[in-house]
Amino acid sequence: MSYESPIRDLLVTGGKTYSDITTEITRPIENKPSKAWWLGFGLSTIVLAIWIFSTTYTMVVGLGAWGLNKTVGWAFDITNFVFWVGIGHAGTLISAVLLLFRQKWRMSINRSAEAMTIFAVICAASFILSHMGRPWVAYWPIPLPNAFGSLWVNFNSPLVWDVFAISTYFSVSLVFWYVGLIPDIATVRDRATSKARKFWYGFFAMGWNGSTKVWHRYEVISLILAAISTPLVLSVHSIVSMDFATSLVPGWHTTIFPPYFVAGAIFSGFGMVLTLLVVAREVLNYKDYITSEHLDAMCRVVMLTGTLVGLAYITEFFVAAYSGVEYEQYAFLNRAFGPYGWSYWIMMGCNLVAPQVFWSKWARTTPWFIFIMSIIVNIGMWFERFVIIVTSLHRDFLPSSWSMYTPTIVEFAILLGSFGLFFFLFFLFMKFLPSINMSELKSIVKTKHALELEKHYTELLNNNHKMPQHAHETKGDSVHGH
Amino acid sequence: MDTNKVILGIYNDPDHIYDATKKLIHDGYRVRDVYSPFAIHGMDRVLGIKRSRLTVAAFCFAMTGIILALTLQTYASYFDWQMNVGGKPSLHIPTYIPITFELAILCTAFGMVGCFFAVNKMVWGKNADIIDIRVTDDLFVVAIDIIPNKTDVAELSSILKNNGAIEIREREFED
Repeated sequence: MSYESPIRDLLVTGGKTYSDITTEITRPIENKPSKAWWLGFGLSTIVLAIWIFSTTYTMVVGLGAWGLNKTVGWAFDITNFVFWVGIGHAGTLISAVLLLFRQKWRMSINRSAEAMTIFAVICAASFILSHMGRPWVAYWPIPLPNAFGSLWVNFNSPLVWDVFAISTYFSVSLVFWYVGLIPDIATVRDRATSKARKFWYGFFAMGWNGSTKVWHRYEVISLILAAISTPLVLSVHSIVSMDFATSLVPGWHTTIFPPYFVAGAIFSGFGMVLTLLVVAREVLNYKDYITSEHLDAMCRVVMLTGTLVGLAYITEFFVAAYSGVEYEQYAFLNRAFGPYGWSYWIMMGCNLVAPQVFWSKWARTTPWFIFIMSIIVNIGMWFERFVIIVTSLHRDFLPSSWSMYTPTIVEFAILLGSFGLFFFLFFLFMKFLPSINMSELKSIVKTKHALELEKHYTELLNNNHKMPQHAHETKGDSVHGH
Repeated sequence: MDTNKVILGIYNDPDHIYDATKKLIHDGYRVRDVYSPFAIHGMDRVLGIKRSRLTVAAFCFAMTGIILALTLQTYASYFDWQMNVGGKPSLHIPTYIPITFELAILCTAFGMVGCFFAVNKMVWGKNADIIDIRVTDDLFVVAIDIIPNKTDVAELSSILKNNGAIEIREREFED
């Protein structure tokens, strides 16, 4: 029996047929890019140039180009690294965790969220490289034998774990993304008119033919990839947090860090997904695919994880106060009321207080408002990392070594430039790959047959008002978004 | 395969092709495969496809990753060259867990996807033998083997038509 859910709307609106989906989602690939695309792409290329220039400048001059000093040895670089790794988490969460929980609303957004993951990890990795000061020896954290010029790496160090975590995360996300893309690349291949497009999409489609046998295996590996990516996404930010938590610096040395970082990562990731999708659905005219229902669901996640990190901030404070350790207590008082107190309150305001507006349905479904909120979330999460890193370091155990950290223009340029790198890649993705997973989406739109059945049953139900209420609510059709 | 001729029934609705395939198999026709733009749920069971053993492969690759990671870390930090970092033990299994975990996942993902490509004979640049160019767009195709002197093509066509086929044609495979 078919049943129209009273709480949730359809996931794809506008009565799309299968071929509508194909035509509309391949449109940006098959046609000349719009003016909006050129504008965005051009702008991000300029900002990318700033990134290339400022990173090269750092390489040439050395880390002296940054505002780091003996006391504050990690600042913008690691803040930006953690910020970008965090952004990536939403993609894997949407594609893996929501797949396991059978949340069908993920289908319109998982492709772009996964792309975002990959590009964000590239940005994060770039900060690690430039932070090393000597990027030409970047292979040193890889376990290579002594003969290569150095000792084995220290496997007790979370920094080495991080090398494994981030590279696994990047490569597994890339595989997951690519496997998901193959059927859609095949669709573009079969519609291609130009020789180049036929060749390149044919090359990457790997001879996909849509056979049931292949689809069966495809579903099996998608499920396993989701199952292994779920603990992976939790492990990655846990390990990132251990870079801090296993040290003895007051403010870092806390057991709450792994879950706190994971919640923060999902929070900031969803913030970025919202920033991208609110714009993309407007520019690419995908409002029927990324509906206000999708925005609503994502805003709920933002609100939940925002409250979680807020809880973590307060817990940290409480634990410091209750521990009786004066260094811990001082670190937290200094965070909130010291010279960098302003950044603490920005963090609190943006991450704990601001997302509470999403209790209102209006806030969750109004795109321009969501866009502003998503920017606020991103600012807040950037400041969270800044607060954790800089305020914990700048006043250490020895008051004579206390100092302040002021970023230089080069550091600002690299931060700004990394957004250029990110959006440059994202615009290329929107032009050359289907930014919505067509094959999955087709499996949830209503077929003509299902629509006829539904009409039939609705008529039956309307003709029989005496039917008990629970009989109306039989869920029998998977085409709705539950 | 004792035949390389097939009849193709082309549909525009997954429910129709599902019913048609079920009926064909029930009537004893040899269905070679069904091609679709997305996975039709239950179609693998109708066609009698055995559960894929890729799960077993995934498990084996995960074990490989675990063994590889533990061997590497124990060998490097205990047997080959011990390092004294703050007096911490060189052979300390708990601190090996994160890397072991990551390598297990890395090996599973790459190994399993590699196997997936291998069993499907998928390779970069392969020329696809597409049964009908529209199966990656909006149509569903069922391919039934024509066994000489056995398959009644006229009856087969009528079954396909009665179940809502929008097009029926014959095709020869090259193998």
